[in-house]
Amino acid sequence: MRGADYVIKRGFFAIVTIFVAITINFFLFRVLPGSAVTDLSRVPHASPQLQHALTVEFGLDKPKWQQYFIYLAQLAHGNMGISFAYQQPVSQLLIADLKNTIPMVTVGTLAAIVVGVATGVLSAWRRGSPPDHVSTNAAIFAYAFPTQWLGLMLLILFAGTLPAGGMENPFVFGTEPFWPHLGDIATHMILPAATLMLTAYGSYTLVIRSALLETLGEDYVLTARAKGLPHRHILWRHAMRNAMLPLVTLVALDLGLIVGGALLIEVIFSWPGIGLAMYTAIGQRDYPMLQGGFLILTVSVILLNFAADLLYFRLDPRISQ
Amino acid sequence: MTLPLQDPQLATETGAEPSRRSGFLRTVLRERKAAVIGLAIIVFFIVLSIIAPYISPYSITQQTCAVYAPPSAAHWLGCDDGGIDMLSEIMQGGRISLIVGFAATLVAMIIGGGVGILSGYFTGAVDVALMRVTDYLIVIPDLVFMIVIASVWGASLFHVIMVIGILEWTTTARIIRAQVMSLRERVYVKRTRALGAGHLRIIGKHILPQVGPLLMANTVLTIAIAIYLETALAFLGLEDPTVTTWGTILEHAFERTAISSGAWWAIVPDGIVIAVLIAGCFLFGQAIEDALNPRLKVAHLSVRRWRLRPLVGRGPDAI
Amino acid sequence: MSLLEVRDLHVWFDLPHGSPVHAAAGVSFALDEGERFGLVGESGCGKTTTVLALMGLLPPTATLAGEVLVNGRSILAGGEDSVRAHRWTDVAMVFQGAMNALNPVKKVGWQIAEPMAFHGVARGAAARRRAGELLELVGIPAAAGERYPHEFSGGMRQRAAIAMALACQPKILLADEPTTALDVMVQAQILDLLTRLSSELGLALVLVTHDLPVVAQVCDRAAVMYAGEIVELGPMDALYHAPRHPYTRMLFAATPDLYGEGKVASIPGTPPRLDRDIAGCAFRPRCDSAFAPCAGEHPELSPVQPGHEAACHLTRQLAGEGSPA
Repeated sequence: MRGADYVIKRGFFAIVTIFVAITINFFLFRVLPGSAVTDLSRVPHASPQLQHALTVEFGLDKPKWQQYFIYLAQLAHGNMGISFAYQQPVSQLLIADLKNTIPMVTVGTLAAIVVGVATGVLSAWRRGSPPDHVSTNAAIFAYAFPTQWLGLMLLILFAGTLPAGGMENPFVFGTEPFWPHLGDIATHMILPAATLMLTAYGSYTLVIRSALLETLGEDYVLTARAKGLPHRHILWRHAMRNAMLPLVTLVALDLGLIVGGALLIEVIFSWPGIGLAMYTAIGQRDYPMLQGGFLILTVSVILLNFAADLLYFRLDPRISQ
Repeated sequence: MTLPLQDPQLATETGAEPSRRSGFLRTVLRERKAAVIGLAIIVFFIVLSIIAPYISPYSITQQTCAVYAPPSAAHWLGCDDGGIDMLSEIMQGGRISLIVGFAATLVAMIIGGGVGILSGYFTGAVDVALMRVTDYLIVIPDLVFMIVIASVWGASLFHVIMVIGILEWTTTARIIRAQVMSLRERVYVKRTRALGAGHLRIIGKHILPQVGPLLMANTVLTIAIAIYLETALAFLGLEDPTVTTWGTILEHAFERTAISSGAWWAIVPDGIVIAVLIAGCFLFGQAIEDALNPRLKVAHLSVRRWRLRPLVGRGPDAI
Repeated sequence: MSLLEVRDLHVWFDLPHGSPVHAAAGVSFALDEGERFGLVGESGCGKTTTVLALMGLLPPTATLAGEVLVNGRSILAGGEDSVRAHRWTDVAMVFQGAMNALNPVKKVGWQIAEPMAFHGVARGAAARRRAGELLELVGIPAAAGERYPHEFSGGMRQRAAIAMALACQPKILLADEPTTALDVMVQAQILDLLTRLSSELGLALVLVTHDLPVVAQVCDRAAVMYAGEIVELGPMDALYHAPRHPYTRMLFAATPDLYGEGKVASIPGTPPRLDRDIAGCAFRPRCDSAFAPCAGEHPELSPVQPGHEAACHLTRQLAGEGSPA
């Protein structure tokens, strides 16, 4: 089946890219000069037993090429070393942080897609009119403002009314009932997610606008109009259906921007996610955390790209040819 | 299927065919307002950067006002937490930001150009290998990658320039590769007979000049990205904090509690100039790209409709 | 009362700079059930604009005047919104290059069934069944409805487009260059199909083409258009063997006949610009029979024989008629 070929090819590419990322990680932190500092066993204030254990685990006394394969084996077990700053396994810490990052990023990205599609459709439908110009220029500027600036602006504007930092109210002790707790997190999530939405939606607007203008000029749209179908139906079932395809590609391509943006946002709003963890790790020279963070984020992006490939394949029946 | 007459309204939006480099640029500027605005913004900031040291009202190394002094007649944009005039900081900071942007783009162009030319000219295994590398680099999230490299390498302007340049060459490579490949077909046949007319000569004389407009668009867009990334890296503390750039201004404001001090002037103007410059680069670069990809399409569906005119009398002369 | 009557149709297109282009000027003709009517001419003569105007499928830059009557009811008078009810149910169209007329991401059967619900013809499973029947009618297995357009060959796509056009049982079928971009064998099949459907279903057919052998094969009557106007209208035989307008004569002479015999002559010159008023006869600069009146006076369509009209001063003079009626 031709479709299976495509899936296999993209899956293979994803796996290879993961290996490339792992190798780059290894190269940066273990091979380059300065790796003395990044040496996984140099956990500050570590007991000699811990240091010895780590040296054995990661084969730090063996030649580099052997270390590489040991590294791969350890990764397969989910072992990414011990954090210099927290003296705990990196993977444990980062997975916990990742659990905080994912909801915020998901909400922000979905909001960006909704806003981007809405403004893009508006712009294309009313091409050349004032709403189009306003919408398009707003998108360009939102995209042009640095993410951190947008976050700071939202802080300035809403610090009084919305929580300005953290993920939950720090003054509530003990276990709060589920729904109020969720509501608490939700209010804290508003500003960070809104910042992500503002920073990401602009490029979606422009892509939808240009894709829709393209599809509105296609012959099948004229055919649909000739069939006496209502304009709204044609817009959504025919034109948008085709215009969404470049959007899927763009969202996947822009994941780097989203990850970077999320990082900056977590710093500004002290959101306890993987971005904030990496930022803190920079200051603390916590190299195992940096390594681990890079790997987790990169693998996530690679897998999401693969998911986007699958989605595109589902949406466009021509791909399997 | 085509109408005998394409919607003429769209015909002028596409601009002229790119015949020659300088003629093309002039045509784009003439036809598209966005390109003119974008170019004007870019030129404005370049000029500003050059003359900044001479026209900035105050020194940026000496305290000239109170900590977080609000905007006043003497200090139009107020002062930062070190009592340094904000307007001067933005003017001179822009200088460094632009230099970083241009330098990083230069690095990206060199690498991307090299990869693109090698890939496009030699094709085969070389092409496949290089394009694979490009694909991997595209997928890996750039800011995260840059953070990791910069944290190991150390915080400095030079490192920031290199790190951005090393990761942002992929679009350039693809553009140049495509151009080289299409031109190679034309030139190669001609030159098979010529005795080993050096590859370098062919590349230099025939291929590079044709790539002009697309490369210009790509360069401008890469500069915008570089400036953007510089501010991000600076914000995360990966740039030399003693240097004043647009990025470090924001970083200082955040680190030194500008918000809780209510000093919005330490944040707002800086972001605005960054956005204006990046938007200007985008408008200009995008206008060129649009002009190179003419889309002569009627809108079959739109809010406006065709009109009906009542006939007065009969026959065409009656209208 | 005719099934389709076009009365004095004018179409102008606005240009961003300069005067509007007068793409169709005073086009009039009528059709009855089951008639097959051809609209021929060079590219840019206004034939495609005319058929698009019949269904109100013009862009926002267009201005219309005149009337299009289906069974005596004017369908354009209310603008885009009111003509929608007549689309596909009264008049349907097959476009040039059906490759692109079908949405690439939707199954063919779905696209055929789509208008049925909106026009109250059938919905759901009934609509799908009907779509299958229509496919069979045009010579495609019903199961092919589950496929996507890119899986069809060019000829099959054109057939599918015809099946789609029949979805709401229209009385009039417009076909704009239905066989261009198809190879000769497939062309013949499509033309046979159109002819057969017209006879079996009583469909009135308007066939737009620049390809004269195509018109000759399918149509009973035809109109020849030049510079937005009909210059001659009459039975196929008469146009072919006894044309009364120099353009018709030169057009048919410029085409090898169906059996590949005869010389190929081309008509020198190019059609005139349509954004300016034309003094006298639009064809005069390229005509081999132009004489005095052609420069100053615009020739009106006048009868040569019952059912045969031509807009030419020379013809009128030869027929011995005096001043226009």
